[in-house]
Amino acid sequence: MRGATTRIAASLLVLLLLGGCGFKDIDKRLFVVATGIDNSGNPDKPYRITLRLAVTSPKIEPGAGQSQVETIEARTIAEGVRELKSYVDKELDFGQCKIFMIGEQLARTEIKPPLSWMIRRRDIQAISNVSIGYPSAEAILQIEPKTERYPGNMLFLSFGQEGTESSYTVTQLAFELGRRLTEKGLDPILPIVYPENGSYRINQAGIFNKEKLLTILKPEETQLFNQISNTELKSSIGGNVEEDPYVLTVGSIRSTYRTNKNDQGKLVIEFNIRMKGLLEEAPKMVFNKDWSVIEHHIATQYNTSVKKLLTKFQKLGVDPIGFGLRYRATHYSGDGSSWKEWLSLYPEAEFKVNTKITVEGTGLIK
Amino acid sequence: MNRYFYYGFLYVALINIMLFVPNILLQNRYTGSISSMALAIPAGTLLALLFASSITKFPGKAIPEIMYEHHPRWLVSPVLWMMAIVYFLGSVIVLVAFSVVINRFYNPDTSSAVVLYLLIAASVYYSTRSTLSLLFILEMMIIINAPLIFFVLGKALFSSSFNWDAIRTVANYIRVRPNIESFAAATYIFSGYLNMSMVNRALPPNFRLKYRWLIPLIGTIALLSSVFIPIGFHGTEGVEEYLFVWSVTADSMKMEYGFIERVLFLYLILYLNLTLLFTTFGWHQAMEFIKSTFKSHTPKLDEDKTTRSNWIIGIAFAVITALYSLAVNEKLNFNIAAVWLIVRLFVELLAVVWLFILSYKQVRRTRTKRKEGNEE
Repeated sequence: MRGATTRIAASLLVLLLLGGCGFKDIDKRLFVVATGIDNSGNPDKPYRITLRLAVTSPKIEPGAGQSQVETIEARTIAEGVRELKSYVDKELDFGQCKIFMIGEQLARTEIKPPLSWMIRRRDIQAISNVSIGYPSAEAILQIEPKTERYPGNMLFLSFGQEGTESSYTVTQLAFELGRRLTEKGLDPILPIVYPENGSYRINQAGIFNKEKLLTILKPEETQLFNQISNTELKSSIGGNVEEDPYVLTVGSIRSTYRTNKNDQGKLVIEFNIRMKGLLEEAPKMVFNKDWSVIEHHIATQYNTSVKKLLTKFQKLGVDPIGFGLRYRATHYSGDGSSWKEWLSLYPEAEFKVNTKITVEGTGLIK
Repeated sequence: MNRYFYYGFLYVALINIMLFVPNILLQNRYTGSISSMALAIPAGTLLALLFASSITKFPGKAIPEIMYEHHPRWLVSPVLWMMAIVYFLGSVIVLVAFSVVINRFYNPDTSSAVVLYLLIAASVYYSTRSTLSLLFILEMMIIINAPLIFFVLGKALFSSSFNWDAIRTVANYIRVRPNIESFAAATYIFSGYLNMSMVNRALPPNFRLKYRWLIPLIGTIALLSSVFIPIGFHGTEGVEEYLFVWSVTADSMKMEYGFIERVLFLYLILYLNLTLLFTTFGWHQAMEFIKSTFKSHTPKLDEDKTTRSNWIIGIAFAVITALYSLAVNEKLNFNIAAVWLIVRLFVELLAVVWLFILSYKQVRRTRTKRKEGNEE
């Protein structure tokens, strides 16, 4: 008997420990579903922070997702978020926030401060999506698309492979951006979200150096980047053979690259791409023609466009594919001088692109 | 009995993350930690094998009984106290580090002290149990947590954002000369064999450790993954920026179709279990070492009732841990861990060499006895 009473008393004592904690119930929390950070143009308060807050509702059906958007200008991001708490009645919770958007204007000047705020905060997921909003993050977050089942889900389903799998959408998670911002020999790239008739269009990507946005790729270039840097991708490539348009759906794509010096001490970056796929668009009776001619034509055209894209990166002095890192991995020199060597070699580097395309079939018709 | 040795080895190899082993090794990644790791694998294996084969010559006896048998009290007691302190301090570092991690990621609104006190209460209760019941707890915990370990490891290695070039870049620095700080941190992975110093009481006679190849295998996998997986996720430069590098690494994995999307929470549950297991064993062994220096003490594998001395020492441990957490902040705890890892290496070396000499004598004595018996 005595043992039992002691035990009960002990467990009650433990309960005392729980009294003082600051835990808040779910109905006292306001979930942030998207965060936007912009340039305000005001020198005293340079940041404009936009939070998209979910209006929680028991209904889950298309179009039922409603949200509230709050905006504030502040001297720093952290202060802004703290001040925003006085605008709302419940505790702000970033635990569900999967979208972080940086305004295009801010991205053109600096990208490190918003990212370091994100990484330092403990409740922000390292697997949240980072993107650029055009013309500003606020303008994008103000849009309330009609098809959302719950607030903000359209934006994060667009990225990654959970919802749509677009070959034009670049996906960058917060930790990946953090890696690209610090890594020697790998530069950041971020998707750009454009407003489009009450919805979004995410088919372009911005190229960064370690500090800021340099240029925005065209949709074709974005797809090309995705194809050569990503193996699990459903995409298509097109080309002409004697004026006839051909489109190939790519079933599998495998790309490898080598960074080596040739005999003259010049850097040669050799890019090998292998693709397999079915013809999706072709002139009639292509089945009886010689497929190797088609393969050859498409491959040559593809080579030129990849080479053009790689030369574009080279001219900008950026390296979003990671050639520099590969060079560091394969050329060890002890005191880190392989990195300095790379910096002097890269502007003069020569690209060799070899594409091998295999047409597996012509679809359902000849 | 074999499996208990490997359970003990496994949980110690995994708890390295809470003792800041990856942080130390990653800090020195360009200045010799890779070569230290390469050296630590054979060195750690050798120490483990040497210790295991020596202590099995004394079935049913723990380190204190073996030492008191061969040496005077005044020599052995201080050594035992020193070992107790090293064990105890290791668990305290882990406990305080983990209470901060839990506080950061699970419940940022409460103070980490509340979490720590709850962990301490659980540890006091478990560490005062008998050695035999702790062995059963060990087996249960490992069986529960092993799937989680493999899941997190597999998730990391097959992640599409894992960058092998970064790993190759850092691995190239194997040519740099090793340093003692990294070597001490890397050999920690292998120090699970020290559990045998108490658990040996449960050892049957004529025991021989089987599957010895598991020691380098488990150790190498644990060591390489705890250093190189963060590099694969955060790059050669970014990896140094993180304080809780493995928590952030676990957070960088995603379970799209899982019950919860963030692998982080799975990882935290796993490390909650491992931390409690580690503290339980650390405190229990420290407790047994201290008790064995009392003259009236008779060692028992499985007492019927928890003795009063267990409770007194356990509560003293709890108070010291609470005071430690008040006096030491995150930064100091990290620095203490780095020093602890080095001190531990030398204490381990001392224990292994000492025990090896004793076992050698023991074997020779039994041999000569047998010879004499034959002559008669």
